Amino acid sequence: MRLALKELRRRPGRFGVATVILTLIAILLMFLGGLLDGLTAGNTGAIRAQQADLIVFSATSQDSLVRSRIDPEQRRKVEQVDGVKTVGEIGSVQLGGRIEGRGLRDLVPVVLFGYQAASKGLPAPPTSLGEAWADDSLEAEGIEQGDMILVGPARSPVKVTGFVSDTRYAGQSTLWASLETWRKVQNENRPDARVAPGVSQALVVQAPAANQAGLATRIDEATGGNTSSLTEDEAINALPGVSSQQSVFNQIIGLTVLIAIIVVALFFALITVERIGLYGVLKALGAGSGTLFAGVLLQAVIVTLIASVIGALAALAFAAAIPAGSIPFIATGPRIAGSTFFLLLAAVIGCAFSLRRVLKVDPATAIGGGQ
Amino acid sequence: MFLALREMRRAKVRFALLISAIGLLVLLILAQQAIQTGLITSFIGAIERQSAPVLVYSVDGQRTLQGSIITPPLEKKIRSTEGIATSGRIGQGTFTVKVNDEPEDSDAAIIGYTDPAVGAPDQLTTGRLPNRPGESVGSDNDFKLGDRVRVLGPGGPDQATETIEIVGLADDAQLQVTPTLFVEWPDYVASVKSANPDAGGILPSAIGAAPVPGLDPETLAGRINDASDEADALTRQAAADETPGVAEVSQSFQVIFLLFGMVVPLVTGLFFLIITLQKSGSLTLLRAIGAKSSLLVRSLMVQVVLVIGGGLAVGIALYTPLSQAQLGDIKLSFDVGAVLLWSVLLLVLGLLSAVVAARRVLAIDPIEATTGEGGR
Repeated sequence: MRLALKELRRRPGRFGVATVILTLIAILLMFLGGLLDGLTAGNTGAIRAQQADLIVFSATSQDSLVRSRIDPEQRRKVEQVDGVKTVGEIGSVQLGGRIEGRGLRDLVPVVLFGYQAASKGLPAPPTSLGEAWADDSLEAEGIEQGDMILVGPARSPVKVTGFVSDTRYAGQSTLWASLETWRKVQNENRPDARVAPGVSQALVVQAPAANQAGLATRIDEATGGNTSSLTEDEAINALPGVSSQQSVFNQIIGLTVLIAIIVVALFFALITVERIGLYGVLKALGAGSGTLFAGVLLQAVIVTLIASVIGALAALAFAAAIPAGSIPFIATGPRIAGSTFFLLLAAVIGCAFSLRRVLKVDPATAIGGGQ
Repeated sequence: MFLALREMRRAKVRFALLISAIGLLVLLILAQQAIQTGLITSFIGAIERQSAPVLVYSVDGQRTLQGSIITPPLEKKIRSTEGIATSGRIGQGTFTVKVNDEPEDSDAAIIGYTDPAVGAPDQLTTGRLPNRPGESVGSDNDFKLGDRVRVLGPGGPDQATETIEIVGLADDAQLQVTPTLFVEWPDYVASVKSANPDAGGILPSAIGAAPVPGLDPETLAGRINDASDEADALTRQAAADETPGVAEVSQSFQVIFLLFGMVVPLVTGLFFLIITLQKSGSLTLLRAIGAKSSLLVRSLMVQVVLVIGGGLAVGIALYTPLSQAQLGDIKLSFDVGAVLLWSVLLLVLGLLSAVVAARRVLAIDPIEATTGEGGR
C-alpha cells in the first residue's frame, strides 16, 4: 500500500494521462447529469409545485393536460369520493409573450396556468382578472414585478404581481393566474381549444395519507370511468418527452461509465505489464498477490477521486457561472455523489481486469527463472 | 505482412476479442446513428413530406404547427403577398384516437389542408389522396390501407363523431413521433370539434404557399415576412430544421458520437501499446538479427487495419438486420452514408492511435538484445 502511494507521489507523471482522461470523463458525467436534472426540473416544475396526491385527467386525454377536459359534474363526483380532502382545478395554455421594449418578433414562450388551490410550491392565485405570479426564470428576460406581458396573437394583457420559483413547464417559463384569467386568455387566443365556464383541464386532489390507498381507483370508478387519476410521479412520467429524455441521457451516462471502466482497465493493464518484472522481485521478497493488487486498486481509486473532485468543482463552477434561464443545468449534491460513486465503481471494475496478470506473476522471474 | 498475419493467427483469441469489441462499438455507433435519423424523421417527417414549398406560421407559434394560429387578418395579408401562385390553409392537432376498435386508445397527429398542392403529402407509397369526406393518408409505419380511425372526445368512443378511413400511405410522414394522418380541411375541423365540442371557430395553424414560376421559395418567404411582422415564413426544409427540439436532439447525439469517437481509438491505441510492450523482447531480437524498424511498424499498421476492418465488418453485419427494425414509433433504416463516414473515420483514428505504439517500436535499440532488457 505504502509502495503504491509512494509511486503516486514520486512519479505523478506516470498517472497523468489516466488522470486527465478520467477528469474529462468525470466532467462529462457530471455535466450530463446536471443537464438531465436541469431539463427534468424545467419540464416538470409546474406539476411538482402542485404537491398533489393525485392529478385527475379526463379518460380520453391520454393524460395530456391540453387534451384533458373536466366538467363541473365530474368535479362534483370527485369531491364526493370518500378520502378526498380538497380538489382544485387547473388549466394551461402555451403562448408567445410580448415584453415591452423587445423586437416585434422577439417573443418569450410562456405557459399560462389557471389554478385554484395554494400549495407549498404556489401561493393562492391572484384575485384580480389579468394578474399572475411569474416563474422567476422570467426575471432573466428582464421582467419585473408590475410589468405587463401581452400573450398570444390576441395580445391578452397579463400583469406580473410577483415571482414564484421552480415552476417551469415543458422547458418554458410559466405564469400562474386564476382560472377565470386562464379561461379568458385561452378562449381569446386558442378558439380551437375553447373551454366553457366551469370547465378545466385537470383536478389537483389532496388526501390524508391514511386515505390514499386505492383512491385513484375509487375516483375513476366514481366518475364512471371518465377520468384517469395519476399520482404526481405518474403525471410527471406522462409528460411528453420526459421519460424518453431521461432514457436517452441515462443511456449516455451509462455509456460514459462503460468508457471509464475501459479506460481504467486498459491503463492499469498497461501499468501492470510495465511492472511485471518489479512485481516478480516484490513477490520474491515475500509480497503477496493481494497486497500488490490492493496497491493497484488504491492507485486507481486515488486517481479517480482526484478526477471526481476536479469534475465536481467544474460542475459547481459551471452552475454558478451560467446566467439564470440560459442553460438548464443544476449541480446537486446527490448527482455529484452518484457520479463519483459510479466512477469509483468503474475504477474498481476496471482494475479487476489486472488482477489475473498480478496473480500470474512468477517470483522465479526475479532471479531469471522465467527466461 | 507475413509477420503480422502469423502473429494474429497465433494469438487468435486476443485479436478476436479486440475485433469483437470494436465490432460491438461500431454496431453501437451505427445503431445510435440510425436512431438519431429515425427520431428526427419521426419528429419532423410530416413537415418535410407536405407539399408546400413555403410554410407560414404566426410569430406567436414559435415555429411549431401546434402553437401557431393564423388569424383572419394575418391570413389575408399572407395570401395577398406578391409572388404567391397557390396558397392554402394547414391545420394541425394531436388527438386521442381508436384504430379499428382496438382496446387501447392511441395518439394521432391530424394535419388538415384546403389545397392538396400546398399541404397534402408530396409522395405516397401506396393508395391515393383523399377525395371524399372521411378519408385520409396515414404514415405508413403506423397504419395500413383500410384502417378506420375514430377521433375520441370527452365522451369516449361511444360519442365519437369523426371516423376516418385510410386510403393512402406516405413514407416518413410522422409529426412529433406520433402516428400522423393527412386529411382534407372539413375532416380536420370535424376532428377538432369531435375532440372538443366547446371549440369555437377553427383557424389554420399555418398557411402553405407555392411561389410563381421563376421565384424561389426563399425569396417568397422573405417577401411574406416583409409584408407582416406577425408572419413567420420559412421554406419547407428550414421549417423542418428549425422546429424546436430538433437541434437539441442532434446535440445530444453529437455528445454520444464524440464519446464513441474517443473510445474506439483509445481502445485500439492502448491495446497495441500493451502488446508492443509485451513483445518488446521479441521485437528487439528481430531488430538485432536485421529486421528494419519500417518492417515492424508496417506489420503493426497492417494489424491495426485488419483489426479495425474486421471490427467494421462485424459491426456492419450486425447493424444490417437491426436497421430494418422499428423501435416503438421510430422506423430505422440502413444509412449508407453513415456507414461509409464512420468506416473511414474509425480507420483513420485507429491508425493515428497506433502512432504511440509505433514510436515504441522505432525506439527499440537492437543492442539491448545482448542485455536482455528489450526496448522498454
